[in-house]
Amino acid sequence: MRRRAGIGAIQKQKLEQERYKDKGTELQGKELEVLGKQLEEFRSKLEEFASNHKSEIKRSPVFRRQFQEMCAAIGVDPLASNKGFWSVLNLGDFYYELSVQIVEVCLATSEKNGGLISLSELRAKLMKSRGRFSQEIINDDILCAAKKLSIFGNGFKVLSVPGGQTLIQSIPGELSVDQTSVLALAPGRGYVTLPILQEELKWTAVRASSALEAVVSEGLAWLDSQSPTPQYWFPSFFIGCMDS
Amino acid sequence: MTTFEDWPWQYSFPPFFTVQPNLQTRKIQLAAWCDLVLKYHKANNLYVLDIREAQGSPLFHNVDISRKLSIEGISEVMNEMHRRHNAEPLDKTKNRWHVLWHTLDEWAAILYSWADDTGQLGGVCTFYEIANTSGKEFSGIDQDVLLKALRKLEQRKKAEIIHLDDGNGVKFF
Repeated sequence: MRRRAGIGAIQKQKLEQERYKDKGTELQGKELEVLGKQLEEFRSKLEEFASNHKSEIKRSPVFRRQFQEMCAAIGVDPLASNKGFWSVLNLGDFYYELSVQIVEVCLATSEKNGGLISLSELRAKLMKSRGRFSQEIINDDILCAAKKLSIFGNGFKVLSVPGGQTLIQSIPGELSVDQTSVLALAPGRGYVTLPILQEELKWTAVRASSALEAVVSEGLAWLDSQSPTPQYWFPSFFIGCMDS
Repeated sequence: MTTFEDWPWQYSFPPFFTVQPNLQTRKIQLAAWCDLVLKYHKANNLYVLDIREAQGSPLFHNVDISRKLSIEGISEVMNEMHRRHNAEPLDKTKNRWHVLWHTLDEWAAILYSWADDTGQLGGVCTFYEIANTSGKEFSGIDQDVLLKALRKLEQRKKAEIIHLDDGNGVKFF
């Protein structure tokens, strides 16, 4: 008969396990310490980099985006930090200013476009109101600032409609999936019709007409009943309106 | 023939010529129509609009996109202008309208300050003289619109309309 393990052996085993555990924790701790140090180093290098390249970051939109990406990688949000080191950049101010201007443009145009503006029109209007001596802004800057605005509730949203168009919605309310699909067909033409929806989306007439009614009642589309088939026009996609 | 270059973007937007079913959108639409009608009449120095003939005017008919505002639509625009004191019906049927790109009170103020500036307070001028003063906003003003505006001054005891043999005159105080 095999001798059962004595109490001594059990204790020894337990002790060993504990030692392993301790060692493990020690190693883990060391690793964390190293990682922490690395992160700290990266952070300070990033800060150094930021202050060395302050003017480039502010001037060049591409540089700004790359810098943003680096910051995001280590969990620093230079927009949120307006205190301490990051304030030297004033990057927060840059985006706050841009956000305010976005709100202004959206409000000023909401009457004519029902609160829906394409990113390209928004950018053109922002550039105009900022004057030609200010920094250049690119779509990424606008999206970055517009996303910040969404914290104020659902009154501000960045919509990507299928087909690559990006729209900024400045009216409260949720667009349904069907309404978004309707919007996606409007750029270029400026309007949609019931047959277009049936053809392109393979929708039934009932589904298509209820989606059309919805975009009209949201104030996004205008009805033109003088064409052979009623057309539903979107000021947001009408060249004359965009340029006005 | 009338000339007008200052068409707003809406004029080439086809649904602008269909009365909008959505009330909020219709409000925006009517506001844009009011602006356009006033600008058009001002640019062409027109004072009277007849709804029955209006569809023949380029104002309500964009040939380029073959869109026309309906008679009912034009009526609605005129009623909205009436609410804004920018139009007054000339008959019970509301077919003929005075288009007032200055409200009657504004015309009254313009006329009075002109009289004041040119030292005519206390004197009499004829309607003909007023309408034929050159280089003023009221140059060529419609006689009936002029009469209505001066009545406003009369109510405030700032003028008295005098009926002369060969037309009307006014005495400013």
